[in-house]
Amino acid sequence: MHHLAFFVMLGAVLVMAGLLLDVVREGLPHLTWQFLTSAPKERGEGGGIGPEIVNTIVMVGGAMIVTAPLGLLVGMSQVEWRPPHAVVSVFDQVRATWLSIPSVVLGFLVYRVAIAWWHWPLSVVTGVLALCVMNWPMMVSVAVTALRNVPATYREASWALGATRSQTVRRVVLPAALGELINGWGWAMARLAGESAALIMTAGLNVSTHWSAWGPGETLAVYIWYVRTEGYGARGSGVAAATALTLMLLIALILWVSGRLSDWRQHPGR
Amino acid sequence: MAPTIRTEHLSVSYHRTPVLHQISLEAAGGEVLALIGPSGCGKSTFLRALNRLVEETPGARVEGRVYLGNMNIYAPSVDVTQLRRRVGMVFQAPNPFPFSIFDNVAYGPRLHGVTDAGELRRIVERSLQEAALWDEVRGKLRRPALTLSGGQQQRLCIARALAVDPEVLLLDEPTAALDPLSTEKIEELIANLRGRYTIVMVTHNLRQAARISDRTAFFAEGRLVEVGWTRQMFTAPQDPRTEQYLTGRYQP
Ligand SMILES: Nc1ncnc2c1ncn2[C@@H]1O[C@H](COP(=O)(O)OP(=O)(O)OP(=O)(O)O)[C@@H](O)[C@H]1O
Ligand SMILES: [Mg+2]
Repeated sequence: MHHLAFFVMLGAVLVMAGLLLDVVREGLPHLTWQFLTSAPKERGEGGGIGPEIVNTIVMVGGAMIVTAPLGLLVGMSQVEWRPPHAVVSVFDQVRATWLSIPSVVLGFLVYRVAIAWWHWPLSVVTGVLALCVMNWPMMVSVAVTALRNVPATYREASWALGATRSQTVRRVVLPAALGELINGWGWAMARLAGESAALIMTAGLNVSTHWSAWGPGETLAVYIWYVRTEGYGARGSGVAAATALTLMLLIALILWVSGRLSDWRQHPGR
Repeated sequence: MAPTIRTEHLSVSYHRTPVLHQISLEAAGGEVLALIGPSGCGKSTFLRALNRLVEETPGARVEGRVYLGNMNIYAPSVDVTQLRRRVGMVFQAPNPFPFSIFDNVAYGPRLHGVTDAGELRRIVERSLQEAALWDEVRGKLRRPALTLSGGQQQRLCIARALAVDPEVLLLDEPTAALDPLSTEKIEELIANLRGRYTIVMVTHNLRQAARISDRTAFFAEGRLVEVGWTRQMFTAPQDPRTEQYLTGRYQP
């Protein structure tokens, strides 16, 4: 059984490494400073993914800034203040169902509401809204898990010293949970950075020459999809590979930074 | 002078299941009262009723009265924060916060409004000295508390409780998780604290109760069976159940 698991794992790792190597081989030659900083060009040589990088960072960051604190508040009220059981279980049901809805469907929902009804443009802001709609259940899960993992004995020790519930949450529980929160937030950001389906419908397939929150907000993941589907000529696959490589590096960077921060929170002084 | 703590017909139930029945018991000012009894008989629940920590457990219900000095701690006018400041608690497993040694001890004083750095330092030093930990940690106060040994962590928890100037100390099996040497240190420490604080200590270690307590109370099945001078109880128990328990033959 052990051996089987080992070989399956080895196989998976080899396949992954092969795919990765392929992307690196094709993408690396395109990956110049100029490519990373200039705007895309439909025809001819040159062109890059500068705006897509900015859009990806801004949209993922925006969605996190909105949903992470909200998720934390909801998680805190659920774990630390124990609302009536019935309320929590209905809410958890909704959250679990929401998590299982494909992102295309959520994107379509946001498209119907924000763009068709409210007449928002295909834009960075609309894309952030779509990412928020996708991300909130994750944020609640991350918060609930991190808070539940804080030993109950910390809370008791704090109450026994005369701290109120909210003092205990602020001074003991949150600091103790922060490492795990950061870790969970890192994974959620990695997931958002790779999202394409929901954003195609809400943020669009363009970038504007002058960046604006209400301007179109194509991201790296969407751009890869666009380049691969709309014949981009012979250099299409190279551009796609270089963009994919950039996206992977960005995600790796997010995970590395969040992992380091999280470690440092959990084992200070190491 | 440390105050008396006294219960009158104290009953506690969890989700309507009674676990303590009409306990009337007193710990005199400055004495060490040991609570012994089989597992699940309600010793921890009794202790948690003395600082109202039991109220944080969902479904817990308390009846009867508890007097600290002559104040009924369950009276509506009582400020729980102030009460818990006067009645400190140390738990079975050492539970320092995942902060530095200093921040652990300073936690209570900061909570109660001490902000002056010099004063905090004085309080931390005094508390650590009182808990017989100062010599081992001086100069290392910025280290994470979780790098200390189990016995040191428990003394840190005692220092943390002492830092808010309590008058009563509730100890719930404070040495259950410790090795013999650390246990001995804590027992020595408790012997030194006797007189200045009223101490109520739960223990499963009968010899420990015999060594360090003035009086002992024996609980069984949620009831107080017998309370008396420790020496007397260990040599000539009044109740046959106490005798069975002390000789290891107790069966509920
Ligand atoms: N939070 C709780 N909810 C429901 N029942 C509880 C809870 N805590 C304790 N009990 C029950 O109350 C009874 C008394 O528990 P308590 O912890 O006070 O016993 P104890 O004498 O301290 O036991 P031990 O020696 O094992 O620590 C037990 O039957 C226990 O199952
Ligand atoms: Mg107990």
